[in-house]
Amino acid sequence: MGQPLELILARNLMSSISTPSVLVDTDGVLLFYNDAAAAMLGQRFEEAGRMPWQEWGERFGPFDEEGAAIPFDDLPLTIALREGRPAHHHVTISAQTGDRHAVEVSAMPLVSAQGGFRGAIAFFWSDGT
Amino acid sequence: MWGARGSVPSPGPETTRYGGNTSCLQVTLEDGTVIVLDAGTGIRNLGLALAGAAPRIHLLLTHLHLDHIQGLMFFAPAFRPRTEIVVWGPRSPEASLQDRIARYISAPLSPVEMRELPCEVSFLEAPTTEWEIGSAHIEAASVTHRGPTLGYRITEGDTSLCYIPDHEPGLGADLSELAPEWISGYELGCRASLLVHDCQYSDREYPEHIGWGHSRLEDSLTFARRVEAQRVLLFHHDPLHTDDWLDSFAGTASERWAALGGDPARLELAVERREIRLGAAEPAPL
Repeated sequence: MGQPLELILARNLMSSISTPSVLVDTDGVLLFYNDAAAAMLGQRFEEAGRMPWQEWGERFGPFDEEGAAIPFDDLPLTIALREGRPAHHHVTISAQTGDRHAVEVSAMPLVSAQGGFRGAIAFFWSDGT
Repeated sequence: MWGARGSVPSPGPETTRYGGNTSCLQVTLEDGTVIVLDAGTGIRNLGLALAGAAPRIHLLLTHLHLDHIQGLMFFAPAFRPRTEIVVWGPRSPEASLQDRIARYISAPLSPVEMRELPCEVSFLEAPTTEWEIGSAHIEAASVTHRGPTLGYRITEGDTSLCYIPDHEPGLGADLSELAPEWISGYELGCRASLLVHDCQYSDREYPEHIGWGHSRLEDSLTFARRVEAQRVLLFHHDPLHTDDWLDSFAGTASERWAALGGDPARLELAVERREIRLGAAEPAPL
């Protein structure tokens, strides 16, 4: 089964930019993250492979400013997926290398021109800390 | 094939052999049902050729760029009271299919208003799934182009025609390496008996047209190989490409196709007025 065009285009865009970003389908399965995200996470997508969004959260965090794990339901991508609206959060991500990165995360749902909900995309922006 | 040209009609002595009319294909099914793919200027000659022979016509529009609808207003069956025309096309969040087409068939662009057409015309926004027309199974899917655009696959028995005239699947992607599920139009084209696919630009021309929604030769051939098309027609010729230029391009395409492992006898450039019979009665390849 092929991916919807909107996800194909989103992946092509992500592959062409240096803004870290991740793509999930309507079931929350992480379909892809780009090389910029891989540099932040310390692991290429080709090595990590697809995974349920919940597993992604367990593997990479995220954490709040006090170092506590942010509840899954409060993560921007979870909100974008479940509620169909954009969401933003400041989080700390734990890389496979052990490094931690403070980032801004903005997630938004992807709705096709045909009107169907296709998944969600999240962009990360590092504040350099 | 009533029109194989892209972008704008290009009549003249330089285009007499490949033709200057824009996109239009007639597909006649075993049961006689007539399906028309796109309504570029080629549909005018199709309308004259039908001469009332088809009381019901299914018109499948890939998208509403002018080179795919310009002939609609000059389609003779639309002016026959006893003709039924069912127009299928992509959905848009902006306006209905009928309202978007009516922008062309209305003042000041047209002397005729849609409501004045004597034929019985209906507009159906194609589901990006599957449905039946006559003895054929139709599949539609959104494909990479500018604006809402569909590709179609028409299957009758074990014969299938895939039509993606405006398509840039290589935009931001390496088609040779992508998994099939990430290739725009892959399922439509998969092992099609005949793939009619965009090939507007040479590889040298493409860098100046990235993102315009059309394919260079390399991407057209790679797409065709990836979907394992049994036969390929390169379509939507650029209006600047003369017959002589296209002859040379056909030679290049044939060599490149062979280098990819394809049979050169199964690849050709689309030519206006060309007729191809698919299925059990299909003649030997060219």
